[in-house]
Amino acid sequence: MAEDFEVEFIEREDRKARFLVRGMTPAVANGIRRAMVADVPTFSVDTVRFVENSSVMFDEMIGLRLGLVPLTTPLDDFEEGDVVTLALDVEGPATAYSGDIESSDELVQPAELNVPIIELKEGQRLQLEADAVLGSGKAHAKHQGGVAVGYRHLHRVEVVGDANEFEEQEPNILRGVIEEAAAEHAADESAEDGALVPTSEFDNDLTKRYPGKDVEVHDVPGAFVFHVETDGSFTVEELVRRAVESISDRAAELEEKVAI
Amino acid sequence: MSYKCSRCKRDVELDEYGGVRCPYCGHRVLLKERAPTVKEVPVE
Repeated sequence: MAEDFEVEFIEREDRKARFLVRGMTPAVANGIRRAMVADVPTFSVDTVRFVENSSVMFDEMIGLRLGLVPLTTPLDDFEEGDVVTLALDVEGPATAYSGDIESSDELVQPAELNVPIIELKEGQRLQLEADAVLGSGKAHAKHQGGVAVGYRHLHRVEVVGDANEFEEQEPNILRGVIEEAAAEHAADESAEDGALVPTSEFDNDLTKRYPGKDVEVHDVPGAFVFHVETDGSFTVEELVRRAVESISDRAAELEEKVAI
Repeated sequence: MSYKCSRCKRDVELDEYGGVRCPYCGHRVLLKERAPTVKEVPVE
Protein backbone atom coordinates (compact mmCIF):
# COMPACT_ATOMS: atom_id res chain seq x y z
CA MET A 1 0.00 0.00 0.00
CA ALA A 2 2.98 2.22 -0.29
CA GLU A 3 2.29 3.46 -3.82
CA ASP A 4 -0.19 6.25 -4.45
CA PHE A 5 -3.47 5.86 -6.22
CA GLU A 6 -4.01 7.70 -9.45
CA VAL A 7 -7.31 9.58 -9.47
CA GLU A 8 -8.99 11.09 -12.50
CA PHE A 9 -12.39 12.80 -12.52
CA ILE A 10 -14.87 12.02 -15.27
CA GLU A 11 -17.77 14.01 -13.88
CA ARG A 12 -17.56 16.37 -10.95
CA GLU A 13 -20.30 18.30 -9.22
CA ASP A 14 -20.85 19.23 -5.59
CA ARG A 15 -23.22 16.41 -4.81
CA LYS A 16 -22.44 13.97 -7.57
CA ALA A 17 -19.20 12.74 -9.08
CA ARG A 18 -17.68 10.00 -11.12
CA PHE A 19 -13.97 9.32 -10.88
CA LEU A 20 -11.45 6.72 -11.89
CA VAL A 21 -8.95 5.30 -9.43
CA ARG A 22 -6.01 3.22 -10.64
CA GLY A 23 -3.74 0.95 -8.67
CA MET A 24 -6.38 -0.34 -6.29
CA THR A 25 -7.48 -3.81 -5.24
CA PRO A 26 -11.18 -4.75 -5.14
CA ALA A 27 -10.91 -5.08 -1.35
CA VAL A 28 -9.79 -1.48 -0.93
CA ALA A 29 -12.39 -0.24 -3.43
CA ASN A 30 -15.16 -1.98 -1.53
CA GLY A 31 -13.73 -0.78 1.78
CA ILE A 32 -13.97 2.81 0.60
CA ARG A 33 -17.50 2.29 -0.68
CA ARG A 34 -18.58 0.82 2.65
CA ALA A 35 -16.89 3.60 4.59
CA MET A 36 -18.72 6.20 2.48
CA VAL A 37 -22.04 4.58 3.31
CA ALA A 38 -21.59 3.64 6.94
CA ASP A 39 -18.66 5.47 8.51
CA VAL A 40 -18.99 9.13 7.59
CA PRO A 41 -21.38 10.67 10.13
CA THR A 42 -24.15 13.13 9.31
CA PHE A 43 -26.64 15.09 11.36
CA SER A 44 -30.11 13.63 11.55
CA VAL A 45 -33.14 14.18 13.78
CA ASP A 46 -33.02 11.72 16.66
CA THR A 47 -35.66 12.83 19.16
CA VAL A 48 -38.74 14.94 18.59
CA ARG A 49 -40.76 16.75 21.26
CA PHE A 50 -44.27 17.41 20.02
CA VAL A 51 -45.93 20.44 21.54
CA GLU A 52 -48.91 20.23 19.25
CA ASN A 53 -49.82 17.84 16.51
CA SER A 54 -53.38 18.14 15.31
CA SER A 55 -52.44 16.86 11.86
CA VAL A 56 -53.82 13.62 10.45
CA MET A 57 -50.62 11.70 11.13
CA PHE A 58 -49.24 10.10 14.28
CA ASP A 59 -46.30 11.75 16.05
CA GLU A 60 -44.11 8.74 15.32
CA MET A 61 -44.70 8.93 11.57
CA ILE A 62 -43.89 12.63 11.45
CA GLY A 63 -40.79 11.90 13.53
CA LEU A 64 -39.72 9.32 10.98
CA ARG A 65 -40.13 11.82 8.15
CA LEU A 66 -38.13 14.44 10.03
CA GLY A 67 -35.35 11.91 10.54
CA LEU A 68 -34.97 11.51 6.78
CA VAL A 69 -34.52 15.23 6.08
CA PRO A 70 -30.84 15.74 5.16
CA LEU A 71 -29.08 18.37 7.27
CA THR A 72 -25.87 20.13 6.32
CA THR A 73 -22.99 18.74 8.34
CA PRO A 74 -19.70 20.67 8.60
CA LEU A 75 -17.62 17.83 10.00
CA ASP A 76 -14.74 20.08 11.05
CA ASP A 77 -16.90 21.84 13.61
CA PHE A 78 -18.68 18.92 15.23
CA GLU A 79 -17.91 15.56 16.81
CA GLU A 80 -19.95 12.43 16.76
CA GLY A 81 -22.69 12.63 19.38
CA ASP A 82 -23.08 16.43 19.19
CA VAL A 83 -26.64 17.71 19.37
CA VAL A 84 -28.28 20.64 17.55
CA THR A 85 -31.82 21.71 18.34
CA LEU A 86 -34.33 22.36 15.56
CA ALA A 87 -37.82 23.77 15.73
CA LEU A 88 -40.85 23.67 13.44
CA ASP A 89 -44.14 25.50 13.78
CA VAL A 90 -46.61 25.48 10.92
CA GLU A 91 -50.31 26.26 11.03
CA GLY A 92 -52.74 25.05 8.40
CA PRO A 93 -53.91 25.46 5.75
CA ALA A 94 -50.33 24.99 4.53
CA THR A 95 -47.77 22.35 3.80
CA ALA A 96 -44.91 22.00 6.26
CA TYR A 97 -41.66 21.87 4.30
CA SER A 98 -38.14 21.15 5.46
CA GLY A 99 -37.44 24.83 4.72
CA ASP A 100 -39.75 25.77 7.61
CA ILE A 101 -37.39 24.09 10.06
CA GLU A 102 -35.46 26.58 12.15
CA SER A 103 -32.09 25.60 13.51
CA SER A 104 -30.30 26.77 16.63
CA ASP A 105 -27.00 26.52 14.74
CA GLU A 106 -26.55 28.26 11.42
CA LEU A 107 -24.05 25.62 10.29
CA VAL A 108 -26.65 22.87 10.55
CA GLN A 109 -29.57 23.61 8.23
CA PRO A 110 -31.83 21.51 6.02
CA ALA A 111 -29.85 20.69 2.87
CA GLU A 112 -33.00 20.89 0.75
CA LEU A 113 -35.71 23.43 1.50
CA ASN A 114 -38.50 21.79 -0.45
CA VAL A 115 -38.91 18.40 1.22
CA PRO A 116 -42.60 18.15 2.15
CA ILE A 117 -43.19 16.90 5.68
CA ILE A 118 -46.97 17.02 5.94
CA GLU A 119 -49.93 18.83 4.45
CA LEU A 120 -52.02 20.64 7.05
CA LYS A 121 -55.68 21.55 6.60
CA GLU A 122 -57.62 24.44 8.15
CA GLY A 123 -57.26 24.44 11.93
CA GLN A 124 -54.45 21.87 12.05
CA ARG A 125 -51.13 22.74 13.55
CA LEU A 126 -47.74 21.14 13.88
CA GLN A 127 -45.45 22.53 16.53
CA LEU A 128 -42.38 20.67 17.64
CA GLU A 129 -38.82 20.80 18.79
CA ALA A 130 -36.30 18.24 17.59
CA ASP A 131 -32.78 17.18 18.51
CA ALA A 132 -30.47 16.41 15.60
CA VAL A 133 -27.57 14.14 16.54
CA LEU A 134 -24.35 13.54 14.62
CA GLY A 135 -24.29 9.78 14.11
CA SER A 136 -22.94 7.30 11.57
CA GLY A 137 -24.73 5.15 9.00
CA LYS A 138 -23.81 2.08 11.02
CA ALA A 139 -26.40 3.04 13.62
CA HIS A 140 -29.23 4.05 11.31
CA ALA A 141 -29.66 4.60 7.56
CA LYS A 142 -30.86 8.16 8.21
CA HIS A 143 -27.25 9.03 9.08
CA GLN A 144 -25.90 7.88 5.71
CA GLY A 145 -24.21 10.76 3.93
CA GLY A 146 -23.41 8.81 0.77
CA VAL A 147 -26.34 7.65 -1.29
CA ALA A 148 -26.06 5.73 -4.56
CA VAL A 149 -22.41 4.93 -3.94
CA GLY A 150 -20.90 2.26 -6.15
CA TYR A 151 -18.04 1.30 -8.40
CA ARG A 152 -17.37 -0.68 -11.55
CA HIS A 153 -14.28 -1.91 -13.28
CA LEU A 154 -12.95 0.31 -16.01
CA HIS A 155 -13.65 -1.41 -19.34
CA ARG A 156 -11.16 -1.53 -22.16
CA VAL A 157 -12.84 -2.06 -25.50
CA GLU A 158 -10.80 -3.46 -28.35
CA VAL A 159 -11.88 -4.00 -31.93
CA VAL A 160 -10.92 -7.53 -32.99
CA GLY A 161 -12.36 -7.65 -36.48
CA ASP A 162 -15.29 -6.87 -38.74
CA ALA A 163 -18.79 -8.04 -37.97
CA ASN A 164 -20.57 -10.28 -40.47
CA GLU A 165 -21.97 -7.71 -42.87
CA PHE A 166 -24.95 -9.88 -43.92
CA GLU A 167 -26.16 -10.25 -40.37
CA GLU A 168 -27.97 -7.56 -38.46
CA GLN A 169 -25.94 -6.50 -35.45
CA GLU A 170 -27.44 -7.22 -32.06
CA PRO A 171 -27.08 -4.39 -29.51
CA ASN A 172 -24.04 -4.91 -27.30
CA ILE A 173 -24.98 -3.23 -24.05
CA LEU A 174 -22.27 -2.09 -21.66
CA ARG A 175 -22.60 0.24 -18.69
CA GLY A 176 -19.94 2.24 -16.94
CA VAL A 177 -16.93 3.96 -18.43
CA ILE A 178 -14.73 2.68 -21.23
CA GLU A 179 -11.11 3.36 -21.92
CA GLU A 180 -10.79 4.03 -25.62
CA ALA A 181 -8.44 1.54 -27.29
CA ALA A 182 -9.68 1.63 -30.88
CA ALA A 183 -10.19 5.28 -31.66
CA GLU A 184 -9.72 4.76 -35.40
CA HIS A 185 -12.85 2.57 -35.50
CA ALA A 186 -15.05 4.80 -33.34
CA ALA A 187 -18.06 6.53 -34.86
CA ASP A 188 -17.11 9.64 -32.92
CA GLU A 189 -14.41 11.40 -34.97
CA SER A 190 -12.86 13.19 -32.02
CA ALA A 191 -12.11 9.92 -30.23
CA GLU A 192 -8.59 9.50 -28.93
CA ASP A 193 -6.87 6.40 -27.62
CA GLY A 194 -6.76 6.32 -23.84
CA ALA A 195 -9.70 8.71 -23.43
CA LEU A 196 -12.32 7.88 -20.80
CA VAL A 197 -15.81 7.75 -22.26
CA PRO A 198 -18.96 7.17 -20.21
CA THR A 199 -21.10 4.58 -21.99
CA SER A 200 -24.11 6.91 -21.74
CA GLU A 201 -22.50 8.94 -24.54
CA PHE A 202 -23.35 6.17 -26.99
CA ASP A 203 -26.59 4.94 -25.42
CA ASN A 204 -24.69 2.14 -23.58
CA ASP A 205 -24.51 0.30 -26.89
CA LEU A 206 -21.09 -0.62 -28.27
CA THR A 207 -22.48 -1.27 -31.75
CA LYS A 208 -23.31 2.43 -31.95
CA ARG A 209 -19.76 3.44 -31.14
CA TYR A 210 -18.06 0.82 -33.30
CA PRO A 211 -20.56 0.15 -36.09
CA GLY A 212 -19.84 -2.97 -38.12
CA LYS A 213 -17.03 -4.12 -35.85
CA ASP A 214 -16.52 -7.08 -33.56
CA VAL A 215 -15.36 -5.94 -30.15
CA GLU A 216 -13.92 -7.51 -27.06
CA VAL A 217 -14.39 -6.01 -23.62
CA HIS A 218 -11.83 -6.51 -20.88
CA ASP A 219 -11.71 -5.19 -17.34
CA VAL A 220 -8.66 -3.04 -16.73
CA PRO A 221 -6.95 -4.60 -13.71
CA GLY A 222 -6.82 -2.41 -10.63
CA ALA A 223 -8.86 0.39 -12.19
CA PHE A 224 -12.21 1.28 -10.64
CA VAL A 225 -14.74 3.88 -11.63
CA PHE A 226 -16.58 5.19 -8.59
CA HIS A 227 -19.96 6.81 -8.83
CA VAL A 228 -20.73 8.80 -5.69
CA GLU A 229 -23.71 10.92 -4.70
CA THR A 230 -24.31 12.60 -1.37
CA ASP A 231 -27.60 13.52 0.28
CA GLY A 232 -26.49 17.15 0.54
CA SER A 233 -24.94 16.92 4.00
CA PHE A 234 -21.53 17.71 2.50
CA THR A 235 -19.78 17.65 -0.85
CA VAL A 236 -18.63 14.47 -2.58
CA GLU A 237 -15.04 15.54 -1.99
CA GLU A 238 -15.61 15.77 1.76
CA LEU A 239 -17.37 12.40 1.80
CA VAL A 240 -14.61 10.57 -0.04
CA ARG A 241 -11.86 12.21 2.02
CA ARG A 242 -13.56 11.34 5.31
CA ALA A 243 -14.21 7.77 4.18
CA VAL A 244 -10.57 7.25 3.23
CA GLU A 245 -9.43 8.86 6.48
CA SER A 246 -11.67 6.54 8.48
CA ILE A 247 -10.19 3.49 6.76
CA SER A 248 -6.62 4.62 7.26
CA ASP A 249 -7.32 5.49 10.90
CA ARG A 250 -8.72 2.03 11.54
CA ALA A 251 -5.83 0.39 9.70
CA ALA A 252 -3.37 2.35 11.83
CA GLU A 253 -5.24 1.35 14.97
CA LEU A 254 -5.16 -2.30 13.96
CA GLU A 255 -1.45 -2.11 13.20
CA GLU A 256 -0.81 -0.63 16.61
CA LYS A 257 -2.97 -3.18 18.44
CA VAL A 258 -1.43 -6.26 16.83
CA ALA A 259 2.16 -5.04 17.07
CA ILE A 260 4.22 -7.36 19.19
CA MET B 1 -59.48 11.30 32.43
CA SER B 2 -60.75 14.10 30.23
CA TYR B 3 -63.04 13.30 27.35
CA LYS B 4 -65.19 15.26 24.95
CA CYS B 5 -68.80 14.44 24.23
CA SER B 6 -69.22 13.74 20.52
CA ARG B 7 -72.73 15.31 20.46
CA CYS B 8 -72.58 18.44 22.61
CA LYS B 9 -68.77 18.88 22.27
CA ARG B 10 -68.44 19.69 25.97
CA ASP B 11 -65.55 18.49 28.14
CA VAL B 12 -66.54 15.56 30.32
CA GLU B 13 -64.80 14.17 33.39
CA LEU B 14 -65.51 10.47 33.82
CA ASP B 15 -65.62 8.97 37.29
CA GLU B 16 -65.30 5.29 38.02
CA TYR B 17 -68.91 4.58 38.95
CA GLY B 18 -70.87 6.97 36.80
CA GLY B 19 -70.69 4.79 33.70
CA VAL B 20 -69.82 6.05 30.23
CA ARG B 21 -72.32 8.83 29.69
CA CYS B 22 -72.22 12.58 29.16
CA PRO B 23 -73.66 14.30 32.26
CA TYR B 24 -74.98 17.21 30.17
CA CYS B 25 -76.78 15.52 27.31
CA GLY B 26 -76.70 11.83 28.19
CA HIS B 27 -74.87 10.86 25.01
CA ARG B 28 -72.89 7.65 25.32
CA VAL B 29 -70.18 8.39 22.75
CA LEU B 30 -67.20 10.19 24.27
CA LEU B 31 -63.93 11.05 22.53
CA LYS B 32 -60.61 11.02 24.29
CA GLU B 33 -58.68 14.24 23.85
CA ARG B 34 -54.96 14.45 23.20
CA ALA B 35 -53.09 15.23 26.41
CA PRO B 36 -51.87 18.88 26.49
CA THR B 37 -48.37 17.81 27.57
CA VAL B 38 -45.28 17.76 25.39
CA LYS B 39 -44.71 14.28 24.01
CA GLU B 40 -41.20 13.08 23.32
CA VAL B 41 -40.79 10.59 20.48
CA PRO B 42 -37.57 8.79 19.52
CA VAL B 43 -36.94 8.60 15.78
CA GLU B 44 -36.04 5.08 14.69
